[in-house]
Amino acid sequence: MKRSTTLAAQTAPPRRPAGYFRKLRSDVFKEWDLYLLLVPGILFILLFKYTPMYGIIIAFKDFNIFDGYAGSPWVGWKHFEKLFHSADFVRVFRNTVIISLLKLVFLFPLPIIVALLLNELKNVIFKRSVQTIIYLPHFLSWVIVSGLFIDLLSTNGGLVNKALVAFGMEPVAFFLDSSVFRSVLVTSAGWKETGWSTIVYLAAFSTIDPQLYEAAKIDGAGRLKQVWHITLPGIAPIIVLMLILRLGNLLEAGTEQILVMYNPTVYNVSDVIGSYVYRMGLGNQDYSFTTAVGLFEAVISFALILSGNALSRKYLQRGIW
Amino acid sequence: MKRKYSWLALMIVFALALSACGGGGGGGSEEQPPATGGTETPSNEQGGQTEETGGEKPELRMLMQYGMFDPATEYTAKFITEATGYKVNYEMLPAENADEKLNLLVANKEEFDIMKLNAAQFYKLATSGALEPIDELLAAHGNHINNAIKPESWESATIDGTRYAIPETGSGIAIGEELVVRQDWMDELGLKTPTNTDELYEVLKTFKEKKNVIPLTGSKDTIMGDIAAAFGVVNEWNEVDGKLVHMAEMPELREFLAYMRKLYEEGLIDPELPINTAAKAIEKFSGGKAAMYKLAWWNAGNTISALNKNFPEAKAAVIPFLKNKDGVAQIGANAGTTWFIAIPKVSKHKEDAMKLLNAKLEPETFKEMAIGKEGVHHEVKDGKYYPILPKFNDDLNNGSNFLTGVDETNYPIYWQARVRKDPILQSYYEEFQKNAEGITVVNPMSFAPPLDAISKNKLKLGQMLNDHMLAIISGAESLDNYDKFLETWRAEGGADSVAQANEWYQSTK
Amino acid sequence: MSKPSNAIRSSVPEKLFNAFNHLFFILAGITTLLPFVNLLAKSLSSESAVISGTVGLWPVGWQTGTYRYVLQNAMFLNAFQVSVLVTVVGTALSLAMTTITAYPLSKPRLRGRKWFLLLFIFTMLFSGGLIPTYLLMHNLGLVNSLPVLFLPAMVNVFNMLIIKNYFEGLPDSLEESAKLDGAGNIRILLYVVLPLSLPVLATIALFFAVAFWNDYFAPMIYITNPSLKPLQLYLKELLVASGGEFLKDNVDAALNTTPQSIQAASILLATVPILLVYPFLQKYFVKGVLIGSVKG
Repeated sequence: MKRSTTLAAQTAPPRRPAGYFRKLRSDVFKEWDLYLLLVPGILFILLFKYTPMYGIIIAFKDFNIFDGYAGSPWVGWKHFEKLFHSADFVRVFRNTVIISLLKLVFLFPLPIIVALLLNELKNVIFKRSVQTIIYLPHFLSWVIVSGLFIDLLSTNGGLVNKALVAFGMEPVAFFLDSSVFRSVLVTSAGWKETGWSTIVYLAAFSTIDPQLYEAAKIDGAGRLKQVWHITLPGIAPIIVLMLILRLGNLLEAGTEQILVMYNPTVYNVSDVIGSYVYRMGLGNQDYSFTTAVGLFEAVISFALILSGNALSRKYLQRGIW
Repeated sequence: MKRKYSWLALMIVFALALSACGGGGGGGSEEQPPATGGTETPSNEQGGQTEETGGEKPELRMLMQYGMFDPATEYTAKFITEATGYKVNYEMLPAENADEKLNLLVANKEEFDIMKLNAAQFYKLATSGALEPIDELLAAHGNHINNAIKPESWESATIDGTRYAIPETGSGIAIGEELVVRQDWMDELGLKTPTNTDELYEVLKTFKEKKNVIPLTGSKDTIMGDIAAAFGVVNEWNEVDGKLVHMAEMPELREFLAYMRKLYEEGLIDPELPINTAAKAIEKFSGGKAAMYKLAWWNAGNTISALNKNFPEAKAAVIPFLKNKDGVAQIGANAGTTWFIAIPKVSKHKEDAMKLLNAKLEPETFKEMAIGKEGVHHEVKDGKYYPILPKFNDDLNNGSNFLTGVDETNYPIYWQARVRKDPILQSYYEEFQKNAEGITVVNPMSFAPPLDAISKNKLKLGQMLNDHMLAIISGAESLDNYDKFLETWRAEGGADSVAQANEWYQSTK
Repeated sequence: MSKPSNAIRSSVPEKLFNAFNHLFFILAGITTLLPFVNLLAKSLSSESAVISGTVGLWPVGWQTGTYRYVLQNAMFLNAFQVSVLVTVVGTALSLAMTTITAYPLSKPRLRGRKWFLLLFIFTMLFSGGLIPTYLLMHNLGLVNSLPVLFLPAMVNVFNMLIIKNYFEGLPDSLEESAKLDGAGNIRILLYVVLPLSLPVLATIALFFAVAFWNDYFAPMIYITNPSLKPLQLYLKELLVASGGEFLKDNVDAALNTTPQSIQAASILLATVPILLVYPFLQKYFVKGVLIGSVKG
């Protein structure tokens, strides 16, 4: 191992001011092992992800699975126009963005706060048990979670409405009331995923040097100050990463959840792109239309990730690259 | 310190080596599947394709609909091989996304020899040219099939004069659901069984006032049925003045919706109707929270026994079908073909596939497939077939999944053995059928051949209409805007469906 | 106030905070645990009690036949084996693959890093869709085989970015001193970086394991052979096949649904094994692994 690196270093051509690829080649010569590590990963995505990419063209065709890719006729932007011109597009797009933003605002910080609070627990056994227990709901499918919340929020003997009535308030039909249904979506998503989402932050805590805390204590910094000046900066990189990736999901408001939980009385506030496309495609696989919708979402997501990364580099001096 | 983690390093190295083999090769390296406990992998590529040289019977590959069992270990599968001499490898579509999976299989020319399809799947594959026309095969090898299947059933599998599948009709015309009420509460309140919608309204109102329970619960998926029928919306398609009219376009539907809206507004229907699943509604009825429910007889066994366990004094009774404003009771029913048994064009064993299908409809073989052996699986009492439990359940519970066409004269009779597994179930089934006797109106579209607009749009339009009806009943949409909805419904394929349905209907006269 | 032993000071607000913090987690723990208690109670109750919704946190009409039924079910047991195999092999391979990909990408000196990263991130958003992917698997001979359940998922970009992020946080001095000793990049990764990265490796191993265990979509698409179906697909189909949509117009299926108590038992038995992974991995989330190792 040692010999080969030195050998590579010796045989590398002398640096000259030259083109990008010349520099790249010289780098590859110099640190061939670093580039070698990349090879399997790149081969894998080239094979499994990029080879099938040609499928995207059917967004611009009238695809019939039995005629194949070549046999289906080109139709230009027809499917995109169908999407943008459909009567419900504005409503559906608005719902998607609103629900997604609500989830971003309320549910993105939540796992970070919970992780910080977990970090303050001193009793190791209690801490570990709590960690293990609060991540349980992640393993329940949306169908089951939906059933739980329907029972819990039912106007017919649901616990929450019993409590409301006990406090002298009017019962609320949470699943049937357009003014509260979005909060049901956000709350249930928070209940299901918050515990699970803390894990990535918990792992990040371990990178923080305990000596920093010792030093802070000696300086007389309280817990809050320690969190603010040591813990948060320590996990800032992962927070930024998660936030940028989350931005890329802005048009995915939780289709799976919504399909299970919504109903016709609350379509006006909860019908999102994913659920709309699902209902309109029932019974006939319109591959071209779904691909067009997917492509539309992907382009926006990609733009969001690129700009999120650019902003982050500008203001926080760090990004994915 | 580091030694402690050496196991991890070791694991990584090992994994690296493995993944290098997998990934490094790139391109088309075919991985051997790791051996698992007890697998028998009939790989598609090298599946024993003995050439059709006569004599030797090839192994056939059949695609079936989803069922909760392993076909390889089923009694019926073994019986079929025994009786016909054909070994069949069964594969299943998934329970969800079945259509998508089927498209993938067919587009990739997976070599199935027999497929059991639903109506929409059959139409799609047949019109895409993926299915073999079977007229000639039937003439050559289909004597038992031709005897078993009636001409009106063949119609449903015929496209432009050519037959592409063997139609499998079900258990005969049967009524599935009827209103069931807590008779003990009716007696307590001195109420008489309602015979029309006005009386029903009064009964529900009394329940609400006197018992403080949910007067009528229901599931979001089955809004239609006897109440709608009492308003004249009997079936999805109804004949009016010699023409077929879809229920969405019937003025009577609006009357029905107005009535339901009134019930909902006054709290006489479960306010949670738009989110109730059938299981949830059953929970409310059997848990004593609701007084009335449109029960399906196949759920009756569980529901009624749970009710009786919770409330030993409870008594449930069936409400006979309500009369319409002319004083006549009617109830709709679907008949016709449930499944289509097709031979794909890519099959290499078409003749053998047809021979197998034919052998399965040989009367004695078919009878044994349907209800097993007399004295072992079933017995005959007063001319009726009764199952012998638990043997019948153990061996034949999943048997109907293996059927490929039925003996249309006898199957409805054999099939009733399945209902006689449970006395409560049987009594509800029989009472429903008795109540419906003479007043059943069969959906006139039941025996239509596959029609393009309907195959394509049925599911989507059905969901649209159901959603909109729920929205009206719960007050999220106003009935006054129904015309606007109807416009959308027509534009999304409703108009085409109506046109094609009528085109066919006129041609039959 | 009372005993300033290990903490330097423990003020009244801090004590209050501690009390509330504990209370918060006890409540949170209860809300997340109760549904599982309810499932357990249902699985041990009589079917008629479950149907009528009378089961809360305690079984009504005690029975254990559901578990006997599920554990004697050949399909369940076979699916269980498939799941364990796919999860173990898939996790090991994917973790290795993702780690070695993340390492070079964590080095800012890697020329072309931005483009490599974009190449990966692009695949998170854009995909060719199901049909060409199925065609590819078919051509590779992977349809109806177990590797199809993990090979395509082996380079997970999301997980790769998390590992890369973690690697970036390691001090450069470590690499430099190893370089002075003459170690090459691969050696540094294996012997210097990986031992210091156990928290993130444990996290990603968990992510992979859970993802492989819970995956039902890939097997639903690529597996038709019943004996190769993993547990979550089995479970999914059990639940779907007992639901309203599936039973519509299918009387024979409606007559044959799986009792709800058995559904509950199946859900629990299919979930508990993967739940056990986390407590096992937790010990790697220890604070200060880094410093301890550098010193030791």
